Amino acid sequence: MGLRTYIITRIILTIPTLLLLLTAVFLIMRVLPGDPVALHFEKKATPETMEALRHILGLDKPLWQQYLDYVWGVIDIGYLIQHGYPNLGKSMQVTTEDVGGQIFSAFPATLELAIYAIIIAVVIGVLLGVASSKKYNSVPDHIIREFGIITYAVPIFFLGIILQLIFGVYLRWLPTGLRIAPTVEPPVSITGLYTIDSLIEGNLYKFIESVKALLLPSFTLGIILSGVFVRLTRTNMLETLRLEFVTAARARGLKESTVTYRYALRNAFLPVLTMMGLQFALLLGGAVLTETTFSWPGLGRYIVTRINFRDYTAIQGAVVMFGLFVTLVSLVVDILYAYLDPRIRL
Amino acid sequence: MANRMETIIIVLVLISIVVSAATVYYSTNMLANITALSDQVTSLQDALEAKLASLETTLVVGTTDSVELTLDPAQAYDYFGWNIMQQIGDTLVSVSPGSATGTDFVADLATAWNASSDLKTWDFELRSGVYLSDNVEFNASHVKYSFDRAIALIPSIPEGAPAGLGYDLIINHTEVLSTYKVRFVLNFPFAPFLGILATRSSAIVDPKYAPQAQVNYTASSARNSTPLAFVGPYVLSEWNRVAGRDLEIKLDANPNYWNIASGYPKIKHIIFKFYSDSSTLRLAIGAGDVDMAYRQIAALDAQDLETNPNVKVWHGKGTFIQYFCFQTKRAPFNETKVRVAVAAALNRSTVTETVFLGTASPAYSIIPPGMLGSTEAFSILGDANYTYTKSLLAELGYDETNKLTFDLWYESSGHYPQSDAQALLYKEALEASGVISVTLKNADWASYKLNRDQEIMDAYVYGWYPDYLDPDDYAFLYWASWLHTNYANSTQVSLYDQARATTNTTLRTQLYAQIDDMAAEQCSVVPLFVSTTLAVTKPNVYGVYLDITMDMRYWLISK
Amino acid sequence: MKEENETRQSILARLIPGFVSLTKHGPSGWMVIIGLAIVVVIVVMTAIAPWVAPHDPIKSNVGPLASPPSWQFPMGTTALGQDMLSRILFGGSTMLQVSAISVLICFVIGVPLGLFSAYVGGNLDKTFSLIIDAVYAFPGLVIAIAIAAVLGPGVVNMALSIAVVYIPSYFRIIRSQVLSIKELTYVEAAKSIGAKWHSILFKYIFPNVVPSIVTVATVNFADAVLTAAGLTFIGLGVSVSIPDWGYDLTKGRELLSNGGWWVITFPGVMIILLALGFTFIGEGLSELLNPKLQR
Repeated sequence: MGLRTYIITRIILTIPTLLLLLTAVFLIMRVLPGDPVALHFEKKATPETMEALRHILGLDKPLWQQYLDYVWGVIDIGYLIQHGYPNLGKSMQVTTEDVGGQIFSAFPATLELAIYAIIIAVVIGVLLGVASSKKYNSVPDHIIREFGIITYAVPIFFLGIILQLIFGVYLRWLPTGLRIAPTVEPPVSITGLYTIDSLIEGNLYKFIESVKALLLPSFTLGIILSGVFVRLTRTNMLETLRLEFVTAARARGLKESTVTYRYALRNAFLPVLTMMGLQFALLLGGAVLTETTFSWPGLGRYIVTRINFRDYTAIQGAVVMFGLFVTLVSLVVDILYAYLDPRIRL
Repeated sequence: MANRMETIIIVLVLISIVVSAATVYYSTNMLANITALSDQVTSLQDALEAKLASLETTLVVGTTDSVELTLDPAQAYDYFGWNIMQQIGDTLVSVSPGSATGTDFVADLATAWNASSDLKTWDFELRSGVYLSDNVEFNASHVKYSFDRAIALIPSIPEGAPAGLGYDLIINHTEVLSTYKVRFVLNFPFAPFLGILATRSSAIVDPKYAPQAQVNYTASSARNSTPLAFVGPYVLSEWNRVAGRDLEIKLDANPNYWNIASGYPKIKHIIFKFYSDSSTLRLAIGAGDVDMAYRQIAALDAQDLETNPNVKVWHGKGTFIQYFCFQTKRAPFNETKVRVAVAAALNRSTVTETVFLGTASPAYSIIPPGMLGSTEAFSILGDANYTYTKSLLAELGYDETNKLTFDLWYESSGHYPQSDAQALLYKEALEASGVISVTLKNADWASYKLNRDQEIMDAYVYGWYPDYLDPDDYAFLYWASWLHTNYANSTQVSLYDQARATTNTTLRTQLYAQIDDMAAEQCSVVPLFVSTTLAVTKPNVYGVYLDITMDMRYWLISK
Repeated sequence: MKEENETRQSILARLIPGFVSLTKHGPSGWMVIIGLAIVVVIVVMTAIAPWVAPHDPIKSNVGPLASPPSWQFPMGTTALGQDMLSRILFGGSTMLQVSAISVLICFVIGVPLGLFSAYVGGNLDKTFSLIIDAVYAFPGLVIAIAIAAVLGPGVVNMALSIAVVYIPSYFRIIRSQVLSIKELTYVEAAKSIGAKWHSILFKYIFPNVVPSIVTVATVNFADAVLTAAGLTFIGLGVSVSIPDWGYDLTKGRELLSNGGWWVITFPGVMIILLALGFTFIGEGLSELLNPKLQR
């Protein structure tokens, strides 16, 4: 089938996937022991007051009706246009806030962290991977391979707190947490990414402050992820470098760097691209451990706290959004792959 | 040639990882200079603001708390929400800073008060010359409006503080007697009424911003995000939230504060910053990122920071207690002797010393020490009193070969401090008697609560924060139905009702002592320990009062 | 008959060469040996811990609270006065069990599912792929917390959470491999001479898929170890009365911010070592078994 048919089929297929996700999380949340209503009453609560809250939260309706109401709300385009986010209901813990609004306010923080972490991971990983593949079986190759393996095996909060201690406490170069120093006013929110927003505002001081705050968490995440890219690049480069067109290019007298980067890496890059997409999608779910270690107000922490409160709507919303991101990113990556590699058609 | 390139690249990348941090630091300095020179006024202004902030006019407070829902007295029921509300709003009376009993009330928006002899009618004379925003003077109508509103909203906010404290049950109606005189008529004699009036849910609202519907957080306007009348030492100037958690709260000194002659607030600007857990907060105060860290400071952090010359550690009384609960409707804890035996085997001091490093003290009464009515009733059982335990259990046929076995549950999602370490030590203490065998079980908070309500836990550890500081808000824990211990004692209940109907402190002390003594004989609920409060500040910070109210009065703090 | 024996022989010959022949395969072979050695040492250490450990690992106050390594306590003590050395010796068992069980579950469910779905193809394959994609798009954290809340904490439940997240990976990799193999001519030839589907699957397809399975399994092991540590960090670990490296790693963070390095470092190093061991095995094996890399 042609590229267009492939894309359309894939896009259409995302809808049942998302519906499946929604139904699954809806059921899972209600299977969980514990009751969001009961959790509002730390102290004495009479059955009447609890019933009153249950009614306000809409939890006294029959299950199928809650489900239909929810699905109807999610696909409400009018709401989406009006508010800028889909109608995912009101949070059952912070009953005054919309879940959609909450998720979309937490999302930019996670996005910013994910972007910079991936950039760091790919830059370090690909450069080291290429270098390592050029010197197959030599000492630098082994060192880089070990680096790639060891970095992935380090628990992230372990590395995080060590870097915090070194750069935050002993050297006092970088802040130990938060997105920007306490006394600095965050930039006016346009994209929600502090770095971009401060540049749009033209405020260099805020830009530098937000970069300083970003450095530790994105480096921690980036270094740990780079291991994956090192090994992936290395393996793929090793395969590609053995192929005939590379030997031919060398025979034509092209410089080694041109052969490595323009010819070999281009072809070896496709799996790296896929992996980038996958890792990015996973990071968008919120790197819980990193966010906790650096007090980063992102989606990861959001999900953990909300489950503890059995906030049905919040978790449903988060799972649907997360599923949407992952499916979208996989779709984009698969399309790119199919576009770039004519051998692949499903 | 190519090989050397590769080596260079490897070396460069590896070095740059280490050097980039230094580069940023130095380039920050360089770029700051260039910016000033190239006349980017905005950047200069911001840098200047940051510098100003570090002078004595601003206090940066780090915390792991967050406002849970709103800053509406008709709804807010969380510690941090109440704390913020205390800085910006005011109540009729409040508890004196440094109070040891929690019942020394001082005049706030009310200057004088008296209660009828049947404790059902309470009259208050109000302060004149207090202005809400827009030059509206505070008077009795505002008091009536605030309480009427709180009670009217109870049906639509069943989880709020007025509902939880029972405003609709306690207060019959509020009357305006004259411009500066207001009367509360209660449904029954209630001695602790002043305590209720001192809580945040009794704060006065500004009718202009307090419709008869709850007021929600409005992202763009701090003034519109709370119905409180800004009559306190501070005004809320900024409140940012992300995904249901606070990002930033800014308080500025209130130019209309009625007590401005006192010189308060000393610090003109307060900025709250929110950290995810106590370890990151501890790093922040250690690195000097914040001026003050309050809630939560772990015992280990406090111990280490005591020796740190860059910070000052403040200790104060606490009112948070934890206690053992027994399921009395079935074996083995349907037998009083078994409960008493287990209670006697507990070793409170090991827990307070090992787990809390002295930041908690053993509790021998459900009423915290220092409060009216607190006794040492449970000390008659002793700590790690294994001889007593063994003899009691032997009467029921338990010994080394036939041990008393049961499940001890603890919650594992961080709702209470160090639940797991506590549980481990309780298990050790009980098993050291030689005749008890304990299996530890845990559940996250939501499941734990469900288990409690479904009464499937044999023994479990629970905790309590008071709403108001009166033994009335503690003593009932011995038989509270929502604890689901299935224990009832009508004698204790009648003593309790008598105690809340009189202001005679001697009589009340006697009554609560009787309740305590009975509780120590029955052991349905066994008090374990009382926490202390901790705060950490930079050395140049003064005026931190950590008293029994556990309220942080930021206006008293100075640099 | 003879053919079958030869096929089995070839699988064995590739999967379990003797240690001597491993060393002949260069640095990749050495990686496998080192990895296996690390894992074996840790397993043995955990097994003999009850006889070798100097103290009861969960007993509090055997030593001064939070004291640095000394002659009496070579790895120091925890904040509750427990002996770190004993806790290190005992503490690997949770992680070993969790990773082993999760790999087992993945294997038992993911491999047959992938094989079957890809081989049968058509709508069945499309349906399965859709479901697996949905599972993949579900945040693993939510699943983990849900399982822990419903079934309670415990080794099997942690393994279940990890397995659910990993099965899609097994499924996908095996499925893509089978899809490419089943178009090969020798498989078509087998079909044309009337071979039954199960013999095609197990004689022709499965042996070619084994190398990828092995690689994914070792990555699964390593990841399971790290995920178990992460789950403990957010409070979903095993009970406090079971010594566990992940638990000490989490608790040690508090001590580390106060200058105490030993409670977090020793378990951290052990976790890294265990994950490394599995990864070495996987890296080495994937290089050895990857025909495209043979010179």
